[in-house]
Amino acid sequence: MIWHIVTRELLDHLTSLRFGLTTFILVALMVTNAVGHLRTHPQRIRKYSEKVNASQTELKSRTELYALLQKGPGKLYKRPSSLAFIADGGNALLPDESVSGGFWRLYGLAYIWSMGVPRLNIEAISNLRPNTTVIDWVFITTYLLSFVPLLFTFDALSGERERGTLRLCLANSISRTALLVGKFLGSLITVLIAFYCAVLFNLAIISTGSWTQLGGADWGRVGLILLIASCYAGIFVAIGLIVSAVTRESRLSLVILLLIWVTVVVFTPSTLGTLSTEWMPPVQTHHQFQMTRGTAFDQIRSDFLNKRENLKERRQSAETSQEEVAGIDPSELEIQQEFVNRDMEMRERISRQHFAAQSAQVLHARRITRCSPAAVVQYALESMAGTGFNRHLQFLNQCRLHIQHFRNFIVEMDREDPESLHFIGVRKGMSEKPVSPEAIPIFEDKLTFQDTLNPAIMDILLLVLLLSVFLSGAFLVFLRSEV
Amino acid sequence: MFLTLIRQEFLIHLMSARFFAAVVITLLLVVANTFVLIGVHEERLADYSQREAVNQESIATTPTYSYLKLKVQRPPNPLSLFNAGLETRFGSDIDIAFDSVPSLSNPIIDVRPEEEQWAFGSEPSVSSPGAPLGLNNPYLRLFSQIDLVFIFQVVLSLLSLLFAYDAIAGDWETGTLRLVLSHPVGRGSVLLAKYIAAMVCLLLPVLMSLLLALIQCSFAPSLQFNTDDFLRVGGIVLTTVVYLSVFYLIGLLISTTTRRAATSLMLCLFLWVVLVLVYPNWSRFALNPGGDMRGEKRSADQQIAQIREEADRDRDRFLANTPLKGDPPLFFDTFAGVDFFRRGQWYLGNLPRMNVELRDTEDPLVTHLRRYYEFATTLQIRSAEKVGFVVQQLVVQTSLRQARWDERLMKLSPASLYTFVTAAWAGTDLDSMVDYIRAAGAYRLTLVDAFHEREAFASLRWFSTNQGDIDWSILPHFHYERADVGINAQRALPELFLLLCTNIVLFMATFLIFIKVEV
Repeated sequence: MIWHIVTRELLDHLTSLRFGLTTFILVALMVTNAVGHLRTHPQRIRKYSEKVNASQTELKSRTELYALLQKGPGKLYKRPSSLAFIADGGNALLPDESVSGGFWRLYGLAYIWSMGVPRLNIEAISNLRPNTTVIDWVFITTYLLSFVPLLFTFDALSGERERGTLRLCLANSISRTALLVGKFLGSLITVLIAFYCAVLFNLAIISTGSWTQLGGADWGRVGLILLIASCYAGIFVAIGLIVSAVTRESRLSLVILLLIWVTVVVFTPSTLGTLSTEWMPPVQTHHQFQMTRGTAFDQIRSDFLNKRENLKERRQSAETSQEEVAGIDPSELEIQQEFVNRDMEMRERISRQHFAAQSAQVLHARRITRCSPAAVVQYALESMAGTGFNRHLQFLNQCRLHIQHFRNFIVEMDREDPESLHFIGVRKGMSEKPVSPEAIPIFEDKLTFQDTLNPAIMDILLLVLLLSVFLSGAFLVFLRSEV
Repeated sequence: MFLTLIRQEFLIHLMSARFFAAVVITLLLVVANTFVLIGVHEERLADYSQREAVNQESIATTPTYSYLKLKVQRPPNPLSLFNAGLETRFGSDIDIAFDSVPSLSNPIIDVRPEEEQWAFGSEPSVSSPGAPLGLNNPYLRLFSQIDLVFIFQVVLSLLSLLFAYDAIAGDWETGTLRLVLSHPVGRGSVLLAKYIAAMVCLLLPVLMSLLLALIQCSFAPSLQFNTDDFLRVGGIVLTTVVYLSVFYLIGLLISTTTRRAATSLMLCLFLWVVLVLVYPNWSRFALNPGGDMRGEKRSADQQIAQIREEADRDRDRFLANTPLKGDPPLFFDTFAGVDFFRRGQWYLGNLPRMNVELRDTEDPLVTHLRRYYEFATTLQIRSAEKVGFVVQQLVVQTSLRQARWDERLMKLSPASLYTFVTAAWAGTDLDSMVDYIRAAGAYRLTLVDAFHEREAFASLRWFSTNQGDIDWSILPHFHYERADVGINAQRALPELFLLLCTNIVLFMATFLIFIKVEV
């Protein structure tokens, strides 16, 4: 019996004007998205590989161990995601390279490379072009896959009640459950037919480009993304059914639905996002951050100068001038080593703290905005596509791991050299043996399927939960409603 | 009869659920967003005064004329509450220097490695605005900001379509249309009555939310509007009414052409999605993607390289006739950047920014140095202006043209047109940013004049720190004044007129169709 209702609903919907309009808009948007991706993605990949190559050749040209430590592992770059067309995720704004934490040269010494606060691409927001949203799957899904289900369901129950067909229907041996499930599936399948049709166009265009072809794991991710999007559409079908079951008039039902939609989908994700940070402790301004770093550096420097003075005094009072071996004084080197290493650690610590405060705000805001399914689906899609803020955090983590690895490598190379004095961070105290370019660890920005799934799991579960809540809500409401 | 019609329509709308729900939602959104926006404005204001203080402090501690690093700022515009436009995104502070000219954007890429970019040796160049105000946590820009105009644009246009979709088609279905027209009343007056009643109803939520927003603002001491601002707000309200009327008339047109209210509703809603949500984003993405500007950039780069080379040649020629060569012995460094000199960079060459102590002012070399710096600085000012001109051409050809095209394309949708008109009223549009850059450029010129007047370029204090403190009160004061209402209106009116024309055309079309339609 359910299938009978489903097919009837499907036929009804498929021949309606709204289905035609929906398909048209979805296909147009998806084709635009695909064409845009075909145009931009090859450039992005080319730029990325050029930059990586340049940075690696520069890294390999350094043969001295000290230079390797001092200049650091070079710039580390974020690999562009092959699924960037699904979720742009603030791609233009988020930085795609690691940044150094500042430099100085004093007293014949030099800084050691440290990882600084990632610098956002302010150009992306402060350019002259009007503010627009990128047309990606996230845009299409969040706006249209929520709007269209409402148009298909607003009169599903209230319209039939108005016409009296609902009473007729229920006079037969059809349970209310069956009717509701039939309506739900009928509307959902109609919406998904239009959506999948548009997706097919999109993927077909994208697979024509040789640069943009998707790998096996990518197809798996696309499959999951489609499931998430369908789940999202299901939520709004259920919401539509709830309101439609409650109201007597289909007009009223539509008005209520539209206003719910505007609030939940258009306004909540952005308004709540900024609203929620109002009550959070403010982050340091850039100026304050620099001042903190400056004072910390001054402290370290004055410590160093004091120690050096002490050493000199001790030397003078001892005045034995115990011959330093070939002009190199181990205790002086030790002080120098402490100085540069403390400086490096301080820089990394302060940068990490600054970034942690910033990202805590963002994460908090994201948690709050999750009360809108539109935001949930956006975050899920971003994580699955390997873009957005989660991906950014992942990239920074990988950078940190790599830098640790890189420093360990240098320490080990230095330890292997018996002639070295093992003062890491000071030129005179380090091994002078040339390093073979092959041995230098190379940064590789990897993104496995698990990396994309793990941050998304939470959001996917939330979506499934919302779907079941609204669906059972629709049951309860419809069971209690008078026909 | 006409008045009765208006009153009846008005009461129907006023008591309808859609009106009530829409008003409640609008007011809620307005209150929540005003709260956020006031917070944002306060943050921007705090940032502004902090930066101002930092600038003042850095001026006060500047030891020589040449070492002056001056930044000017644009104070936050309180009307960004209504339409943020470029105001909250576009950079605020801009470097004012002898060797760089303010420009809207800086397409010249600095290819030097990061470490050396911090060095103070500078070539004639341009300076573009830095980070926008109040961007303590730039990551929050991942959440888009919503201004009051956006709320009107989305919610109230939806409401006006909801008023309009069944205005004719619904009456036709229920048969009331026939009943009404059986009275001695013209079809035109029926249409007009419906229009007037709906517009009055639409005006109510606008005024109510405006009132609420202003009350909220009055609690925030940082947000103060003057008379001109109220005139601008008046302009924004006027534009809002015209904009809502466009959507109402679109709905009315659809309603007269379709026989069933359900069909009319579907058409209205899809049209709304396209006009308000899809097209403004789609147009830029599909029709005006970032084109390939490398050709223009390369030729500009060549011109700039030429200008720089020419300046270098002039300077070398000048230096050839002076005894100034190499590392003059009369300097010793007071700053940490010694290594730059040691590395063999001839520091007379590149930088007229100096900060040294003179041991012996009677040394004959000092006179030569003074002459040299006077020459080099004027040369630098001149070549910076040349570079600035080239860059300005480039910006006009590339980013400015692109932005203007974006605007033109987006204006095909009344929703975007509305955004741009209100931005023009609020003074947060592209033209206002151009104004700001122009003001900064003019300020640089007055600064140069003030220095010329005091013969600062040839004085010892240009490069020497131990000649007594400099009286920095001679610096001309910079205060960016927003363009006055007249200019705002001039910028807003053409497009407002366009919106009005759309109204008239739509009304005429509806009227003609309605006259012919069978009841």
